[in-house]
Amino acid sequence: MGLFVDILLSGVAQGMVFAAVALGLVLISRATGTINFAQGAMGMFTTFIAFSLLTHGVGYWPAFVAALAMGFVLGAVVERTLVRPLRGKPALNPVIVTIGLLIVLEGVAGSIWGNVARGFPAAFSQRGLVIGTTRVAFSHFDVFIVCAVAALVVAIVALFRWTDLGLRMRAAAFSPEVSQLLGVRVGRLFTLGWALACAAGSLAGLLVAPLSSFSPYYMDLNLVYGFTAAVLGGLLSPVGALVGGLVTGLAIAFVGGYVGPDLQPIAALALLLVVLMVRPQGLFGTTEVRRV
Amino acid sequence: MLQVEELSVRYGQVRALEGVSFEARDGRITTVLGANGAGKTTLLRTLSGLVRNQAGTARFDGQPLTGRRPEIIARMGVAHVPEGRGVIAELTVDENLRLGTFSRLRRVERRAAVDEVYERFPQLGDRRRRSASTLSGGERQMLVIGRALVSRPRLLLLDEPSLGLSPIVSAQMMATLRELTSEAGLGAVLVEQNARSALSVADWAIVLNLGRIVVADEPARLAADESLRRHYLGF
Repeated sequence: MGLFVDILLSGVAQGMVFAAVALGLVLISRATGTINFAQGAMGMFTTFIAFSLLTHGVGYWPAFVAALAMGFVLGAVVERTLVRPLRGKPALNPVIVTIGLLIVLEGVAGSIWGNVARGFPAAFSQRGLVIGTTRVAFSHFDVFIVCAVAALVVAIVALFRWTDLGLRMRAAAFSPEVSQLLGVRVGRLFTLGWALACAAGSLAGLLVAPLSSFSPYYMDLNLVYGFTAAVLGGLLSPVGALVGGLVTGLAIAFVGGYVGPDLQPIAALALLLVVLMVRPQGLFGTTEVRRV
Repeated sequence: MLQVEELSVRYGQVRALEGVSFEARDGRITTVLGANGAGKTTLLRTLSGLVRNQAGTARFDGQPLTGRRPEIIARMGVAHVPEGRGVIAELTVDENLRLGTFSRLRRVERRAAVDEVYERFPQLGDRRRRSASTLSGGERQMLVIGRALVSRPRLLLLDEPSLGLSPIVSAQMMATLRELTSEAGLGAVLVEQNARSALSVADWAIVLNLGRIVVADEPARLAADESLRRHYLGF
């Protein structure tokens, strides 16, 4: 029973991180119909910037906020310089560009910070909480992870549902040409979509760094899990990303806990395969809005 | 007022428009007729900035349209109602209309402008919270026209507004258009396959064939010319 609860709780915390990665993928997929394979690498890069700030004596929270802001800027710059010029070209072109960006970012990070694994500090204690007399596998930091990602999802959903800006973003995503004819500055909204997505990626990077061996490649596997989560959620729905993240996190945790951690990536790929075969539009997608 | 001079558009080697010149005045409906592939849709898409022209100019109130981006042209008060699928099916009726209010209205004017459309088209008001994908063809056409009107444009560019509508609904649509232009002083460029109904409401008509204007005349005179009708208008 204790093992089951521990696995469940760690699965929730991990799942929230995957949800943050998935949310970034969903935002970009909605904005420009692209799958951003550099989503994890961009989060990795900005987390390394936070790491540099921390080693230069900057406080944790200023470094945290700076990394989020850098993610926002990096996303906007990538959209403007690498993705925008490919508009109107085959849909695969920007996808290939993001794979290139993934390799470049990991290479550059390796040459700046070295390809060694290190530790990254957590915002709060990583020791399990004590409930009654037992210590569970859920720390203060895990609580922070859950709250931070939940807040992000709520903010994004609120933006899309209840603001004029969100309405414009949805319209631009669904029907860019009609939106342009209504005076909507579609290009700017695509840039904003990428910027928000990469800020979400930075958040994922910051949250997962203390849980992993922090090297330029630490987000690779998280991208695989995040991608599984995004596809599970239907690729276009922020709530779908959250649910997809949780399902993926729990699946990974149970496979890791009962079968063995080596099988976790294979379990994620199996899950991805099953979703694509049984329900390719995802749990929250409909066939007609699925574009990728 | 819209002034088009010597407008030419090519898609690769294909000439879509060649030296097209005409004027469209405020409060009047100018209809553009011709067979499929005559260049009618290309003309509207060029005026609204979706297609780049290679030669000639289009001006609206003296301001150039050619070379500007569609969102800027929309903000100038030129509302292009595209053919067929102009409804954003993933949004509700209300959201579609609200989207039309952002570019040219101040925040406080927006709600009232949407409500005016509901008054004009009560069927849309009844379905305001529904997804636009649930609307019938006629209701969709009302929605796209309402969405164009909500921005209080000065010039409407309408691409086949009667496409897929029953004759009765189509006639209502034309009557509404006539009313809007006469009352509000709105100018309209009306592209139609259904030449008979377009000629019945228009103040001026031009006929395109293979990208060139072959005739420009009063609608009544055009409708009376039997050989022209048979050659280009198909009735």
